[in-house]
Amino acid sequence: MSQWVIKGLRSGIKSTRYPRTSETAPGISPGLPVATPMSAELAQAMAARCPTAALEPARTGIDVNLRRCVHCFRCARGGDGAIGWERERDFECAGVTSHGDNFGRVFTRSIHILVVDTGDCGACLNEVKQLNNPYYNMHRLGFFFTPTPRHADVLLVVGALTEHMRLPLRKAYDAMPTPKRVVAVGACALSGGIFGPSFMCAGGVGDFLAVDVEVPGNPPAPLAILHGLLVVAGRKPPAPLYRRIEEVDGQG
Amino acid sequence: MSLLLVIILGLCATGIVLAIVLEQERIPAALGWLGAIASIVLLWFSGASLFGGAVFRATLWTIPSLATLTLSLDRLSALFLFVTGLVLLPGSIFASGNLSQYLGKYSLRSFSVWYFALFATLVLIPLSADAVSLLMLWELMSILIYLLVNFEHEDREHTRSGYLMLAIGEAGTLLIALALIILAGNGSLEFASMKAAGDALGEQARWAVFLLAFFGFGVKAGLIPVNFWLPQAYTSAPWPFVPVLAGATLNLGLYGIVRVNGDLLPVAIAGPGLVALTIGSVTALLGILYATTQSDLKTLLAHSSIENAGIITAALGAGFIFIASNHPAIAAIAFAAAFYHMLNHSIYKALLFVATGAVDSNAGTRNIDRLGGLIKVMPVTGAFFLVGALSIAALPPFNGFVSEWLTLQAMLQSAELASTGIKIVFAICGAILALTAGLAVTCFVKAFAMSFLGMARYESAAKASRARASSTAPMGFLAVLCVFLGVAPTYVIPLLDGAVAPIAHQARAADALVPPFFSGSIHHGELPSAFVADFHKLGAQVGQSVMPGRGLVVLHRGAAANPVVFAMSTSYMAVVLLLMLLGAYVVFRLIVARDRGVERRTVWDGGIRRLLPEMTYTGTGFSNPVRVIFEAIFQPTTVEDTRETVGKHFRAAIRRTRGENHVLDRLVLDPISDAALWMANGFARMHHGFLNAYVFYGLGALLAALLVARFT
Repeated sequence: MSQWVIKGLRSGIKSTRYPRTSETAPGISPGLPVATPMSAELAQAMAARCPTAALEPARTGIDVNLRRCVHCFRCARGGDGAIGWERERDFECAGVTSHGDNFGRVFTRSIHILVVDTGDCGACLNEVKQLNNPYYNMHRLGFFFTPTPRHADVLLVVGALTEHMRLPLRKAYDAMPTPKRVVAVGACALSGGIFGPSFMCAGGVGDFLAVDVEVPGNPPAPLAILHGLLVVAGRKPPAPLYRRIEEVDGQG
Repeated sequence: MSLLLVIILGLCATGIVLAIVLEQERIPAALGWLGAIASIVLLWFSGASLFGGAVFRATLWTIPSLATLTLSLDRLSALFLFVTGLVLLPGSIFASGNLSQYLGKYSLRSFSVWYFALFATLVLIPLSADAVSLLMLWELMSILIYLLVNFEHEDREHTRSGYLMLAIGEAGTLLIALALIILAGNGSLEFASMKAAGDALGEQARWAVFLLAFFGFGVKAGLIPVNFWLPQAYTSAPWPFVPVLAGATLNLGLYGIVRVNGDLLPVAIAGPGLVALTIGSVTALLGILYATTQSDLKTLLAHSSIENAGIITAALGAGFIFIASNHPAIAAIAFAAAFYHMLNHSIYKALLFVATGAVDSNAGTRNIDRLGGLIKVMPVTGAFFLVGALSIAALPPFNGFVSEWLTLQAMLQSAELASTGIKIVFAICGAILALTAGLAVTCFVKAFAMSFLGMARYESAAKASRARASSTAPMGFLAVLCVFLGVAPTYVIPLLDGAVAPIAHQARAADALVPPFFSGSIHHGELPSAFVADFHKLGAQVGQSVMPGRGLVVLHRGAAANPVVFAMSTSYMAVVLLLMLLGAYVVFRLIVARDRGVERRTVWDGGIRRLLPEMTYTGTGFSNPVRVIFEAIFQPTTVEDTRETVGKHFRAAIRRTRGENHVLDRLVLDPISDAALWMANGFARMHHGFLNAYVFYGLGALLAALLVARFT
């Protein structure tokens, strides 16, 4: 016991100071495809390579729907460098959906989160779990996990929405007191990911519940999830969920 | 006064005659009306003495060479009679409504006859002022209770528990008779002369009288180790009789202990008081432990009666010790606490039994694990049961709180005593009683929540009909009493004064607890004027304008060595609680919920497809922590019966049967019965059938008799 105290004092504070200062080691990410100008035929061919339809052919190139990308590198490796790949991407990419909203001025601190796994492979859940560890330490920001929806303000959903988890998810959402927000984490929860709409999977959670904040990534790094939570609390501005060729080119 | 008694006995006799004459269908109504009227007259009769100090004495007839049969009413008898009347009034009304369910199955005629005979006996026992009539009436009461408990005689279980009760009751009567004979010595068997002769007794005889009377009367009061009949008998007793059994007859055991050990032969040394205190505390703890783990509501309440009898006995024991140590003022507190608790127990236990009877009749079961959600179908019964449960769990502002607070306060006053050993016993017993109070809350949270809240576990509970007026009216009466006795203790304690004063040898004992604070001037003899003035500065005299009388605060100031003031006011507490509830409601309505509607959502069930009643928390599950923590006392036996499939590799079903052997059976009954069997086995060897040997035994016996005759 006494050694723990001494050791703890000696090692000092190791937690990230994230939203106060910028974070230099956001976690390992395989990167994302970049919206690249290209011919319409090539764009069609590239879009066909994408297993999750994250690449959308546009007029002058290809758009990237971050919500769907699972960083599988099929476009980057098979496309002979036709599409750009951004390795060092910014982790702050959680966005508010078109019908979603953050808490505004209702809650900014002390937000209780109910995590519901609707069919997760374990990856996103593992990243969510890291939020409680000493490095990310989300308690310092006023976020807490709760096991009961009665105390929850935020419903954090991970995993593709399987048939069997529809009812529990609906019941959990209904049991939460208002005001409440839904945060979907990971490509599977956002769009169904590689499981897509299939015989046992309804696709993304957004088709079933009104999702307010989406955190893309497969899985998203813990800081990305933390950014999503800060967005829902209204303490960080949201990022765009689409990377469009027009924006990249600056043509508008 | 004697006219009132004659009216009561006449009504009982009329009841008996009507029960024989009337046809079966009309007996319940007759029982209800006559019982209620007789109870009201009984309340008048005893109240005249309790409130007004009326005295009654009647000499009946003389049995040559034994005694003159005498009836007399003093304040102690009046208190017990008044409590009996308070229970018999609602009890009779409930009985009249509940009795009709036995129509056609059992003889209502016999029930009614025994009921009125018992009524008369219950009235006469506290009145009897000589050993002969007391013993005769006591015996009569034992038999009548046996007949009533065994009313549903076609059930073997009822007959068994009836016999057990009768046997233990007879043993108790024997002990009482011995105690009274020792007490009488060579003198007369009248209480007045026994009281005078008591001073001449030596210490050993005093101990003998105390122990014989304590355990003899303790049989009816339900004290360990002679209470193993009680849960079984209470469970077997028919519903119309149970409230009276728990509310009135249990008190008579306590009456006997107080009459003999407090009045006839006052305890002069601390030893007997310590016995009573220890036995009472352990009784209370064991009672509530077994109550908490019960799933049968009736048995649960029976075990809880044992608990309350234990608390009362502990308070009596504390009183005896304080008397022996020459602290009559503190002894008065302890006795007042004991009597108050006895009064309260009678009221709320009768209430709970009436409510449980209504539940059993209307929901078809009294098993907590099969009930649930009753508050939706029986709201009135549920509300009254809640009042009873809160009272018995000793939560303010209900009556159980006042008497348990007084009991524990009296225990804390042991700081005044000189002997360290006695102080240690007091500390341990106080801790046991505190634990008991805590467990009582657990027990009655379980009793109320598991049967009245949640989901109905069985269809019968979901479709239960509302209780009839013959059940709700007695419940309402008793619930109002529960609240009154809880909110206005300062008006009740002075009434107990008359009963306490002769036992505690302290006149105006109530003045120590409920000083004439607001009615008199600032200068009291009892309290230092500076202290009184302090209270006046605090605004304690406010109560005078609101409610006349002795104010609303129960308080006691320790002696000079220990000048601590204990004060408590459930009246103010009730007002504050009401204001807080109202305030919270108003704040919620006006400020919080003005612009936001209240949303009702379904129960959070963890997201399962359908929440079934079987999945909800059961009473057994609720009380399991207690069962596990006190496993050393319960020592359950588990029989595991595993059925295996043909291949003997997979278990098809495991059935665990959990049995419990009551700690008294284990430690007291089993050794006694084992010893008796062992001795019988030994004697059986002498009975081998050889005539010569029997002649030899005869000769030996004759020789022994001659030798004894020669040398004595």
